[in-house]
Amino acid sequence: MAKVGVYVCHCGSNIGGVVDVEAVRKHAETLPDVTISRQNLFMCSDPGQEIIRQDIRDGLVDKVVVAACTPRTHEPIFRKVLEGEGLNKFFFEMANIRDQDSWVHAHDHDGATAKAKKIVDSAVAKAKNLMPLEDKYVDVTQAALVIGGGVAGIFSALELANMGHKVYLVEKDPSIGGVMAQLDKTFPTNDCSACILTPVMVDAGTHPNIELLTYSEIESVEGYIGNFDVKIRKKQAYVDWKKCTGCGDCADACPVRTPNEYNAGLDNRSAAYIHFPQAVPKKAVIDMTSCINCGGRKIGSETRISKKTGKPILAPCERACPAGAIDRSKAVDPEGEILDVKIGTIVVATGYKVMEKDNFKSLAPDSPNVLTALQLERLISATGPTGGKFLRPSDGEKPKTISFLSCVGSRDEKHHTYCSRVCCMYMIKQAKLLKEKYADLNIYMHFMDVRTPGKDFDEYYTSAMDMGIRFVRGRVGGIDMLPGDKLKIMAYDADLAQNIEVESDLVVLATAIELQDNIKPLAQKLSLTLDGSGFFKELHPKLKPVETAVEGVFLAGCCQGPKDIPDTVAQAKGAAAAAAVPLAQKRVKIDPTISEIDREKCSGCGICEPLCPYGAITMVAVNGSHPRARIEMTQCKGCGVCTTACPSAAIELHGYSEAQIMAQITALTL
Amino acid sequence: MAAINLSKMNQEEVIQAVIDHGGAGITKCIQCNACASVCPVAKAGFPLFGRLLFRKLQTGHYEEIIEDASSWACQACNRCTEICPRDAKPFEIVFAFRRMQAGELAISTSAFTPLMSLHATGHAVYSETSQELREQVGLPPVPVTSIADEKAQKEIQTLLDNGPMGELGIF
Repeated sequence: MAKVGVYVCHCGSNIGGVVDVEAVRKHAETLPDVTISRQNLFMCSDPGQEIIRQDIRDGLVDKVVVAACTPRTHEPIFRKVLEGEGLNKFFFEMANIRDQDSWVHAHDHDGATAKAKKIVDSAVAKAKNLMPLEDKYVDVTQAALVIGGGVAGIFSALELANMGHKVYLVEKDPSIGGVMAQLDKTFPTNDCSACILTPVMVDAGTHPNIELLTYSEIESVEGYIGNFDVKIRKKQAYVDWKKCTGCGDCADACPVRTPNEYNAGLDNRSAAYIHFPQAVPKKAVIDMTSCINCGGRKIGSETRISKKTGKPILAPCERACPAGAIDRSKAVDPEGEILDVKIGTIVVATGYKVMEKDNFKSLAPDSPNVLTALQLERLISATGPTGGKFLRPSDGEKPKTISFLSCVGSRDEKHHTYCSRVCCMYMIKQAKLLKEKYADLNIYMHFMDVRTPGKDFDEYYTSAMDMGIRFVRGRVGGIDMLPGDKLKIMAYDADLAQNIEVESDLVVLATAIELQDNIKPLAQKLSLTLDGSGFFKELHPKLKPVETAVEGVFLAGCCQGPKDIPDTVAQAKGAAAAAAVPLAQKRVKIDPTISEIDREKCSGCGICEPLCPYGAITMVAVNGSHPRARIEMTQCKGCGVCTTACPSAAIELHGYSEAQIMAQITALTL
Repeated sequence: MAAINLSKMNQEEVIQAVIDHGGAGITKCIQCNACASVCPVAKAGFPLFGRLLFRKLQTGHYEEIIEDASSWACQACNRCTEICPRDAKPFEIVFAFRRMQAGELAISTSAFTPLMSLHATGHAVYSETSQELREQVGLPPVPVTSIADEKAQKEIQTLLDNGPMGELGIF
């Protein structure tokens, strides 16, 4: 006979304010096999836990039911109590009478109390049938993978590397740096972005524990925490990076002109190019999608000899390279090369992109004088297309009036319902930088409201007002293109309660932050889920902000949601710390609530194999028998799909056995 | 109502005028409306109460509002200044605007009599009917202030005549 102890929690007023806790406690007392039934204001508090400990020590209880909140957050706490008193920690069952009862039936006290009793009935029925289970362990490969070389990825990699772990830092572009490397200055201190970022880029590039893999992408991820098998595709650069010195002569020689991503499309680059002047690593690549194969020098073609000169005919890039790093006659694989690496834990830091202005037809996207904020950032940067000169793109004139429009694509059901969090601040930053330099510039800032939730942020905003930057409350409805390259902003001043118009030379759209295009395949490779806003979903919004539903995979930076640089760096270091834990522990625990196949019962029908969402099931022949199903315990997540599908009932999901579930159903339906 | 073309408003000029007349807080106002929530002028239903007046000034309105009488309803209770989260001193902006209005002779008719009285006697409000009452309670019929002191009255007149008020030519 089991000795079940039932402990009913008030959870302050969360449960106690709705459910008659004493009635539930009394009811539990009447259930068969229940030896003790108690209540407490907070069962999870130290005194609450001590009640359970004492009952176990006194020999009154050998199975424990806590009727309280969610097992997601609190099951580990109570399991530890049992473990501490020498009981198998799986002799614990949680009855969720808060999330599934008091919270949803807040206005029906009697109904909620009756339901709480039923939930307790069910938990007690299961508790009686609980079987002991043991944690299992696997070794952890001593290496981390950081995906994304922006400021988040760089800091995660450095943090892990400084702890002594081997780190592979993978970046899709030729250089690390990310969006931060495109920024001119950073709020609220106006430090120069390059001045604070480039030294850190160099640190990451030269760290003995960091293997920098730029111009590379994740091809596939197999395995599980501690034992990921990752294939990384090093894209074909068509330049021998071992020889390339980053001199840029190939870029100067190349006649191709194609939009320059680094300058947000404001100017052109060549097909052979270096990502940007401070690139790490500073290596050239040839972009084959725009290369025109000068002189018929297709990659892998034989070198022809000029009849006139008797010299080999080379493309300008080859001829210009003083290091001999470009040899177009060499037949290299356009798909690049694949690296196989073994990884213990993964930090995903793939960043974000800003929406393009073409999405906003009412805001004159066809005008060259309507820019996204990232384009303005390039326009005022010393490394930008004008060398930092503030000139109107249409005619190179110095603007006299400039208008900033906030929430473009943010807080908008048609695009993104969320606030992009950084736009208010970077618009104010850009306005202040411009006003400092050009005191006579008229600056209008159109806001729904100014959001400044950060250290020293509001002071930054109000000081902008003191500088004479004009703030207008009201979202802008449209922009008219006027003759003479002027733009008419049509808006409403909510404080005047009147329509207003502004004639501007330049308009800046603070377009929303969103996840990168083409990120979904990566999400699939990693089995990551996206949240309602389209960003990677963390395991818990407050308590597990860097963890994901996939053990061993962590999140850092804007791929988890819009955030500024301080928050990104903080999260990157947090993700690194979390990713370092399994590496430091050297082995990871495998939860035993997973499925197992009874080989005697398995008919080898194979129905379960394709159903497993984690690829944990394989058909294996043992000793010449016909193939039977086998579950790889490190890959099984205990979802139970195979268990329910097996026609021979050969699969048991430990912790959710048929006997246990049937007992629960019986208790609920009696 | 037609849209206001902000590009054609003299915002800098108007803001500078407000600052020159003693309302330096005009650039600090963030339009939070706290001043309006306690303002007797707003409560009494005058159209151009503090917060809205400040926005009009910030956006370069001048001729459109200079004749408005709302500001003269200000009781100088100073609650706005106590409550302003930006320390913009709204009361002082209202008074700066009054000085601008006075400069345009856009003075409420109700203000003329007290002004003339101030110039003549040193008291904005003085009632001769109080003489009898004063005697009944054993006070001299005329208070011992500028009202009974011609030299003091001269001094006050000299001050007023030589200040910005004198330039209005109303005395």
